[in-house]
Amino acid sequence: MNASSAVSKTVGGPPGRAPVYALVGNPNCGKSTLFNALTGLKQKVGNYPGVTVEKKVGTAYSQHGQPMPVIDLPGAYSLAARSPDEAVTRDMLLGRRLDTAAPDRILCIVDASNLERNLYLVHQILDLGRPVIVVLNMMDLAAKAGVRIKVERLEKELGIPVIPCEAAHGRGLIELKLAMSRPDLPLPRHRWDIPSPIAPAVSELQASLLENDRKAPLSARAEALLLLTDQDSVRVAGSTPLSSRTTDILQSWKVRWEGQGVDWAATLVASRYDAIARLCADVLERGTPEQEGASLSDRIDGVVTHPVWGWLVLGGLMGALFLSIFTLAEYPMTWIDDHIAQAADAVKAAMPPGDLRDLITDGAIAGVGGVLIFLPQILILFFFIGLLESTGYMARAAFIMDRLMSRVGLNGKSFIPLLSSYACAIPGIMATRTIEDAKDRLVTILVAPLMSCSARLPVYLLMIAALVPGDTIPVGTKVGLMLLMYALGTSAAFGFAWLFKRTLLKGEPPLMIMELPPYRLPRVRDVILQMVERGGLFLRRAGTLILGISIVLWFLSTYPKAPEGATAQAQMAHSFAGQAGQLIEPVIRPLGFDWQIGIGLIASFAAREVFVSTMGVVFNAQSDADDTAPLRQALASARWPDGAPLFTPLVCLTLMIFYVFAMQCVSTIAVVRRETNSWRWPLFQLAYMTGTAWVVCFAVASIGRLLGY
Amino acid sequence: MPSSSQSSAPSALVPLCQLLAGASGRVHELAGAGAFRERIRELGLGESTMVTKVSGQSPVICRINGTRIALSHGAASQILVEPFGGAS
Repeated sequence: MNASSAVSKTVGGPPGRAPVYALVGNPNCGKSTLFNALTGLKQKVGNYPGVTVEKKVGTAYSQHGQPMPVIDLPGAYSLAARSPDEAVTRDMLLGRRLDTAAPDRILCIVDASNLERNLYLVHQILDLGRPVIVVLNMMDLAAKAGVRIKVERLEKELGIPVIPCEAAHGRGLIELKLAMSRPDLPLPRHRWDIPSPIAPAVSELQASLLENDRKAPLSARAEALLLLTDQDSVRVAGSTPLSSRTTDILQSWKVRWEGQGVDWAATLVASRYDAIARLCADVLERGTPEQEGASLSDRIDGVVTHPVWGWLVLGGLMGALFLSIFTLAEYPMTWIDDHIAQAADAVKAAMPPGDLRDLITDGAIAGVGGVLIFLPQILILFFFIGLLESTGYMARAAFIMDRLMSRVGLNGKSFIPLLSSYACAIPGIMATRTIEDAKDRLVTILVAPLMSCSARLPVYLLMIAALVPGDTIPVGTKVGLMLLMYALGTSAAFGFAWLFKRTLLKGEPPLMIMELPPYRLPRVRDVILQMVERGGLFLRRAGTLILGISIVLWFLSTYPKAPEGATAQAQMAHSFAGQAGQLIEPVIRPLGFDWQIGIGLIASFAAREVFVSTMGVVFNAQSDADDTAPLRQALASARWPDGAPLFTPLVCLTLMIFYVFAMQCVSTIAVVRRETNSWRWPLFQLAYMTGTAWVVCFAVASIGRLLGY
Repeated sequence: MPSSSQSSAPSALVPLCQLLAGASGRVHELAGAGAFRERIRELGLGESTMVTKVSGQSPVICRINGTRIALSHGAASQILVEPFGGAS
């Protein structure tokens, strides 16, 4: 270590509390692995570049057991942000975010086998005026590639601790924690000179940032440099805007340089690269790599990115995914179903009849049970997506899909968000943060909820069950209808993307460039942990939101009480729920839906799967003979007032199609509002999706009736 | 890696998309918009980087310093490389 290095003063972090660390680094440099190793906090480990888009905070412990908060920032190649997740990293480090204070110290993790490229971000971070620890990760891979790094030399040149480590094998972590525990850390030394035509502008901007924007003295210089190289500053919600004085100075310099023909951004970037090249010449020794020629990853890529084989592999994987959802899940589903019925029977046997017993059996147990049963399928879906992310295949899939996506004006980066949306639109929409182009991102957000999410599965399955007579549904019919629904949603997503890119959000898709992580064996433990975490979220929803809604709906369909002696049907019509359903019946009548289905449609806004539990409450309330009768039989016996069956095959089909298109999810609306920072887009999305649903369903219902169904 | 190229006799520049699979070259020039060039450099594909093409038309996959970068055909056509050994 170089505590004696003259120029750098030492900084001990804030008095009275432990220093807050931020963890930054390029994508795929092992940042998530290091974060897990340091904090022990389990989080998503993916291979797809930029999978870490959420703010993640954990706690590492110093050698004396003092807790040190660590914030895991999204991976970035540079501070010149190109996408919203990179903008989060930039704004956090510069202290621009209103919601979180700037970190006291920075842990900068570097892929040692690719030092030169990684140093670009390091170089920008050294400018920030905060204590930095550089972590040289993947030293084993560097050695294999024949790269030797003179660590002491690098430490001396940068003036800060440099810790070699192998996070995946737990090597170097003790040394790192020791460095993190130091009460004082040296500030990095600036070893590069700003090119002379640019230097006066940097000092002028720096002064204005200090005075007008109240920036810290050292980070003001970094911010001034960044203002000059930011091509198109990505602004995200929660970051503070610049003062008008600083903006004016920036503008006037740009005008002056344009007149003189100075390419300020390129000059600055080039001088940084020169400084890095000089540094690398000092600290890097290149020997011969252990392995020459095509590696295993290259050979796998030869197959999976092949113009023909690539599609077959992708198609095969997707086929296997959907097949296992519908076959493997059957056994646990039957098991859950039986136990729910047993629970309801047990309550019935133990309690005297009355409103309270009905609340527990028809409200709570039937409502939550109707959703719980789909947990196995949801877990399988999450497991598959996690497995593919963990092996590194997902990045390839994005590239294969780029060929297809570019036809509708999107690029391959929209593939992961859209695929995630098959599980749930919310993580899908959040995954769009890695899309660089703002318009591409917005289009992806707008169409993502058209991908059939797992919340629709319960509705589809119930409707398929009601559609096909008999107790056992042939697997072929089930899978066929299900695939039809998925295909309908997917083609609608692509169709609308194409439409939006040509009308509302015109623009050229950016050229696609992406790092492909090496293939590795999936870490099954991480995949399972992630699956359990996501499954737990779903369960918590079932346990809280859906339980609440089930009880509220039971209440709304039980009160106000109809006069004594009224039939169950009359009671339902008399209740609050019945009144709301009747209110919207004129609108949905042309689709073949009655007010009872209307109740389900309204309740679905809480979450689509609530439709199933709502139907459970609505129709169980009417069947007085056997309360625990399967919902399907209850639906089959549902009638219009004139005695015609309600759930005809045509109505079941129309209802499924309605669910394919309609935007019925308050949580998604809230997320879109947050991600687009306006009400305009979520409301537009609600209108176009639900409007499409009505039109398509009306067409299907009319044609069906004409054909005599 | 053929570290000694014939820099004295510069061979014709070709866009990366036309480099033969398995061939190596040195990045000579980046075309395209400023933001695109900067991103390419950040990914380690800057001028004078040694690049080996692994495979493909679209995507084009190439290896730089042990990392694999995938580019769409359009992106690869903006990167002009000087092939080693006069390949392509």
